[in-house]
Amino acid sequence: MIQFLGRRILYSILVLFLASIVAFVGTRIAFDPTARLAQARDPKVRIAEERRLGLDKPLVVQYGRWLGRFVQGDLGETEVSQEPIAAKLRSGMWLTIQLLVWGVTVSVIAALIIGVYSAVRQYSVGDYVLTTFSFMGISIPPFWFAFIAIQFFVFTLPGLFGTSPWFYTFSGSLHSDGVSGFNLDYLRHLFLPVLVLTVQNIAGWSRYQRASMLDTLNADYVRTARAKGVPRRQVVLRHALRNALIPVVTVMALDIGLLFGGLVITEQIFSIPGMGRIFVSALDRGDATMLTAWTVVAASFVLLFNLIADLAYGWLDPRVRIT
Amino acid sequence: MRFTKTTAALASGVLTLGLAVSSAASAGASRPTAKAGGTLAIGAEQEPDCLDWIASCSGSSWGAWMVLYNTLPQAFRFEPGKGGAYNYVPTSLLAGEPTLQTSPKQVVTYKLNPKAVWSDGVQVTAADFQYTYDQIVNGTDIYDTTGYSSVESVTAPDPQTVVVTYAEPYASWKSLFSGGYGLMPSHILAGKDRNAEMKDGYTFSGGPWFAKWKKGVSITLTPNPKYWDKKPSIKKVIFKIIPESTAAFQAFKAGEVSALYPQPQPDALAQIKKGLPGSVTKATGDTGNVEALWLNNNKAPFNDINFRKAIAYSIDRNAIVKRLFGTLGVKKAQNSFNPPIVADYADPAGFSGYTKDLKQVKSLMTGAGYKKSGGYWTKDGKKASFTFKTTVGNQRRALTAQILQAAFKDAGFQMKIQAVEAGDLFGEQLPSGNYQMALYAQVATTPDPGLCVIFCSANIPSEANENSGQNWTGTRVDGLDPLLEQVDVEPDAAKRAELSKQADLLIGSSVTSLPLDPLPNILLYKTSIKGKVRDNAVMGPFTQMNYWTLKG
Repeated sequence: MIQFLGRRILYSILVLFLASIVAFVGTRIAFDPTARLAQARDPKVRIAEERRLGLDKPLVVQYGRWLGRFVQGDLGETEVSQEPIAAKLRSGMWLTIQLLVWGVTVSVIAALIIGVYSAVRQYSVGDYVLTTFSFMGISIPPFWFAFIAIQFFVFTLPGLFGTSPWFYTFSGSLHSDGVSGFNLDYLRHLFLPVLVLTVQNIAGWSRYQRASMLDTLNADYVRTARAKGVPRRQVVLRHALRNALIPVVTVMALDIGLLFGGLVITEQIFSIPGMGRIFVSALDRGDATMLTAWTVVAASFVLLFNLIADLAYGWLDPRVRIT
Repeated sequence: MRFTKTTAALASGVLTLGLAVSSAASAGASRPTAKAGGTLAIGAEQEPDCLDWIASCSGSSWGAWMVLYNTLPQAFRFEPGKGGAYNYVPTSLLAGEPTLQTSPKQVVTYKLNPKAVWSDGVQVTAADFQYTYDQIVNGTDIYDTTGYSSVESVTAPDPQTVVVTYAEPYASWKSLFSGGYGLMPSHILAGKDRNAEMKDGYTFSGGPWFAKWKKGVSITLTPNPKYWDKKPSIKKVIFKIIPESTAAFQAFKAGEVSALYPQPQPDALAQIKKGLPGSVTKATGDTGNVEALWLNNNKAPFNDINFRKAIAYSIDRNAIVKRLFGTLGVKKAQNSFNPPIVADYADPAGFSGYTKDLKQVKSLMTGAGYKKSGGYWTKDGKKASFTFKTTVGNQRRALTAQILQAAFKDAGFQMKIQAVEAGDLFGEQLPSGNYQMALYAQVATTPDPGLCVIFCSANIPSEANENSGQNWTGTRVDGLDPLLEQVDVEPDAAKRAELSKQADLLIGSSVTSLPLDPLPNILLYKTSIKGKVRDNAVMGPFTQMNYWTLKG
C-alpha cells in the first residue's frame, strides 16, 4: 500500500509539473495581461506594466520564476490586482466545495435510488419515465436548464401561488447581506445552483447505476442467493448493490474530481465567485500566474479523487486490494 | 408495464416534498420590499481589480462609478449641458470657480470649502492636493500621469488655498484632482504604503458614502454621517456583482436588484423591448463612446484615399445605427471622432456628407483603376477585398459585422470577417498594424477633446515611442498635427473649439477612419427609486444616490 501510494504521488508530481508548463506557456502565448492598458491615455503605462510583470523576459525565465516561488509554497499574486492567489483560491474553493457537497450528496442518493429502482423494475412505467428524464437531463445543456429553472422556480411557480419569488437567482456568497450560518436563507440561495448541478449528475450516474445493477442482478451468485431463499430486499441491497457500486463509484469519483475544477457555467449564471468564475476571470485578464496556480490546484483534486476511486474500488471489492 | 405500489409511493413522495418546499419557502418568502430609508440593490456587471485609483490595477469604469465618485472628493463634476456636451462644474469641495492665470505661466488657484471634511472630521485641505499630486508624479506603477506631469508645483499659501503652477500650458486642467482620481487624505495616508492601504478597500471617505468590498460578491455603500453636503437617506446600497447579462435581467425581474446599467448588447435590447414592468428605461446616445471603422492607412487597400472614400459612401451609417439601437431611440450615426460629450468641439460636417451613394463609389473606384466584374470591383485581376477584425464574443459587433458585410457586398466590396480575442487585437494586431479594417470603440473619460493621442503622426507606433503610440491607423494628414497638438494646450475654450473643429474637417476630408455609432448608455431602474435618477455619461448613474429615496 505504501509503495502504491508512493508511486502515485511521484506520478502526480510529474503530471502537475507538466500541467503547469502547459498552463503557463499556453496562457502567455494566447493572452496579453497588458492589453487592457492598450487604450490608456498615457501610453507609457503599458510599457511599465510589461516590465513589472516581467513580460520582457524570456518565457523560460518567467516560468522559472513562477516555479521557484511555487515550490516554496508561494502561489504568487494575481497579475492585475496583486492579490495573494492562495487566499483567492481558498475563498473560491470554499464556495465551490459547498455547492459540490450538496450537489454530490443529493445526486448520489438520487442516482442510486433511481438506478436501483430502474434495474429492479426494468421495463416498468417507472423505469421508462425515469429513463426518459435521465436522457433529457443528459441532453439538456446546463446553461439552458439553468434559465428554465430560474423561470419556473422564481417566476412561474410563485406566480401560481401569488407569492414573491422563493429562491434567489443571485447566489453570490450563498447568503443575503448580513446573514450567515445554516438557515432558510442559505438553502434558498443554494437551491437553484444545486438543482442545475444535480440534474447533470443524476442523469448520468443513474444510467451507470442501472446498467451496473442489471449486470449484477443477472449474475450467478445473485440467482443462487434467490434460490436459497434470501429475502429479495437483502439480495438487492446487500449482494447486488455493493457489487454494482464498484464501476459507478469509479465514475463518480472521477467526475467529482473534475467538478472541483469549477462549475463554470453554474457559477457564472448564479454569480457565485467560486473556482469556475476565478478561472473565467483569470482567462479574461490573461493572468498566467493565477491560471497556472489554478490548473495545478484543480489537477491536484483530479489526481486525489483518482486515488480515492482506486482505494474505494479496493474497499468495495476485497478481491482487489491495493498492494 | 404496471403501476406498482412503489411507483405510487414515489410519486406521492415527490408531490409531498414539493408542497413542503413551497410552503416552507412561502413561509419566509416575502422578500423585503424597498422602503424609504431602506436598502437598495443594484446589479453591477463588473467589479474593479483594485480600489487604489491611481495605480495601474485601477482603470475600471464600474469601480469609479460604484466607489471612487462616492468616496473621494473631486474638484469638478462633469455635467451635461446643451446638445449633449458635458461641462466641468465645480463641486461643493470648492468655495467657487478656481481662478486661471495664463501668463507668464499657467497658474490655477483653488479655494476650498471650509466645511469639507473627511469621515473622521478632519478638514480637506491643500495638503491633500499636495499629497495626491506627489503620489501621482512620484509614485510607482501609476495608471496615468497625463496632466500632472505638466505641473511644476502645488503650493499652499494657507490650508484652504491651493496654487497649481504649470511648467507648460495644459488645457484640460479641470480634469486634475477630478475625473478618475479625486483627492486622497494626506493625514491618513502620508508615510504609509498608499497602494497597500487602498487597493483592497479603505475605511475613510470624503464623499457621501463609505464603501465595503466583498470580493467577487458585492460592494456595499453606507452613509458617511460627516459628509458636508446632502447626506443619503437610503441606509444601504448593495452593488451585486452579476457578470452574466441574462442573469442580471433575471435578478432585475425577480426584484433582487432594483437597477441595472447594462451594455447595449442585442440580448439586453431584446429584454428591454419585451418590456420590464414596474421599471423605467433611460437610454441616451450622448456618451463618451464612439464605435468606429478604423482603417489601416499604411496598408492596402486603405492606403488609397479614394478607396477609403468609396468605403465611406458604400454604407448607410444612419440605417446601421437605427438597426442596432433604434429600440433605444438612438438612430443617428456619429459624425465626428469627438464623442457627443464633447460635442462643442466637434464639427459633424466632417463626416455627415458620407451617406450611401453608389454613384460616388463608382466614380471613386473607376478613378482608382477598378472595374466591376462579377459584382465586385476588381483591379489587376484581384477583387476589392479586405479583412474586417473585431473582438470575439461581442454579440453587437458580430451583428454589425454581418450588416456591414452585406452592405459592402452590395457596393462591390468583399469583406471577410475575423473575430479576434480582445487581448490579441489590442495587444498585438492593432499596434503592429496587422489589420486592414477594425471595429472597436474609443472611450472618452473626461469632457475634453483629445484626438492627438490617436491621430497625431508622432503617436504612430515606432521605435521613437517604444511602439506604445496609439495612432494605430497610421494617420498622417498634412496640417493635422499642429491643430491637434494645439487643442491639447490651448486654454481659451472658444479658440480650442475652433481648432478642434478644423481638425475634424481635415480628418473627415481624408477619411482616415470612419466613425459609426455613439455607443448608448442604458439605465434601468424600478419605479420605487425616486429622486435625481439619471445617467451621467462620464461619471455613471450612481454618483447622486445621496439624492435618491426609496418608496415602498
